[in-house]
Amino acid sequence: MMVDTKDAFYVALRDRLRTVNPERKMLVRGALRPAILVEDAEPVSEKMPRDVYVLRWTELGSDPSLPETMAITRCEIHYCTVGTEDACGLDRGKVLAAMDADLREILKPPSTPGMNYSSTPATATGVTVFWTEPLFSPTKTTRDSLERVASVTVLARCVEGVQ
Amino acid sequence: MSTTTNDLTGSAVNASAPITRRVRAYFSPVDRTSPAPVPFDTAQSGRFDLESPPAPWVDLGWVDNFTRKSTSEIGPLAAGAPAMSVVQVRHKVDAWVSLRFLHWGKLQMALAAGSDHWNLIAPPGQSGTNAVSLATGSTATALMMSVTDAAEFSRGQAIAVDVDYSGQTGYVGSGASSAYVGDARALQGDLNYVRRVTLNVAQVAAVNGNCVHLTAPLVAGAPSTAMRVQPVNGFMDREGGTFFQEWSALFVMQGEEGERILYNYPRLQAMKGGQEATQPVAGTLKMICLTAEFRALPVRDGRDGQPTLCYRSFLPGTGMPL
Repeated sequence: MMVDTKDAFYVALRDRLRTVNPERKMLVRGALRPAILVEDAEPVSEKMPRDVYVLRWTELGSDPSLPETMAITRCEIHYCTVGTEDACGLDRGKVLAAMDADLREILKPPSTPGMNYSSTPATATGVTVFWTEPLFSPTKTTRDSLERVASVTVLARCVEGVQ
Repeated sequence: MSTTTNDLTGSAVNASAPITRRVRAYFSPVDRTSPAPVPFDTAQSGRFDLESPPAPWVDLGWVDNFTRKSTSEIGPLAAGAPAMSVVQVRHKVDAWVSLRFLHWGKLQMALAAGSDHWNLIAPPGQSGTNAVSLATGSTATALMMSVTDAAEFSRGQAIAVDVDYSGQTGYVGSGASSAYVGDARALQGDLNYVRRVTLNVAQVAAVNGNCVHLTAPLVAGAPSTAMRVQPVNGFMDREGGTFFQEWSALFVMQGEEGERILYNYPRLQAMKGGQEATQPVAGTLKMICLTAEFRALPVRDGRDGQPTLCYRSFLPGTGMPL
């Protein structure tokens, strides 16, 4: 269930990014894709890729007052930029602001239908995956790079009996 | 010698006090046309699997803010001069229980509201269909019908299963008394009235040919062929009306050492209309919880004929000191 929740969240953001900003792409393992990836589903890298949204799953939530069939997890969305080469990096603030705006766009609406991607074609799980409004960290400057982390809590209800 | 302190560091806790996490609620409809309900037999069934309660109990999930209150009044009976209290008497017996449902479904809504609870029948043509007849062989979790009719339903859909309204008066609703009809003329011949108010609802798990599978058993058990099925878009309750629902309730606190505390209320009626409470979940997300307060009504205990509002039972864990 947790895997389905994470997959549905990622695919929703990826597909929305393709629509919101078709130019925001990355080349990964020979494939040109929307510039968003799940960190733990890609080869380990020392550096955070630039101009790419990197989803990092962190906390696994548990609230004893919630029905125990609620999946809760936290996702950090890391991104950084050094600006464009054309502008010699002098536009890095502007590029980061554009990434902020695109991220806000693709997180709306804050829900998507749950899907199971373990088989082809994917099947609907019948639940809705939804998430909180993003919390944006202050901009962090590391040499010529501007970095930010947006955090959301992603939730989905597990429905028993619905096949 | 054991001691109990707020700071558990370096101290011992009285091991015989049950330690639990949450309260699980089970309800059973009271058939208003029959004699008073029979209390739950804790000696026989008290150790039931919490995920699979014995019939006819319906699992309504976890609850919190579970509070029991006895408002019974005990007073002295004085005699002599000067008057001296010689015995005590109960001159009022009353009890109520309040809680917050952590699940939100048809029965939780209905219980919390306390009055008649409406199914929003889907209009034909808008994901709805006219009431569909049942074939023989249906069970509490599998409804048999023609292949054509079954194709009208889909996974996840809510349905109401009950008889047509044909002018009957008194309590209506299969499996649970869902409403009371005092004057049939007020219903203006609404054929779907019973299905509008019935608590015999379910969710479609799957459709296979001529069989509609349900996610949970119907409250009324296996339906008869006199019942028909209609899709339901949602549910509604209202502040007002004169009808009071009545349910038997069983609340279970499962202890961490195998012990179990059970509270059985043979007859409960809501003390207030529908109300909610919110609880923060994450960010600006809030969980909307149904809050409920019930007054316990009496039954006569078959063991000794005494009027009784509720029972508290304790099943010790193996090896627990008593």
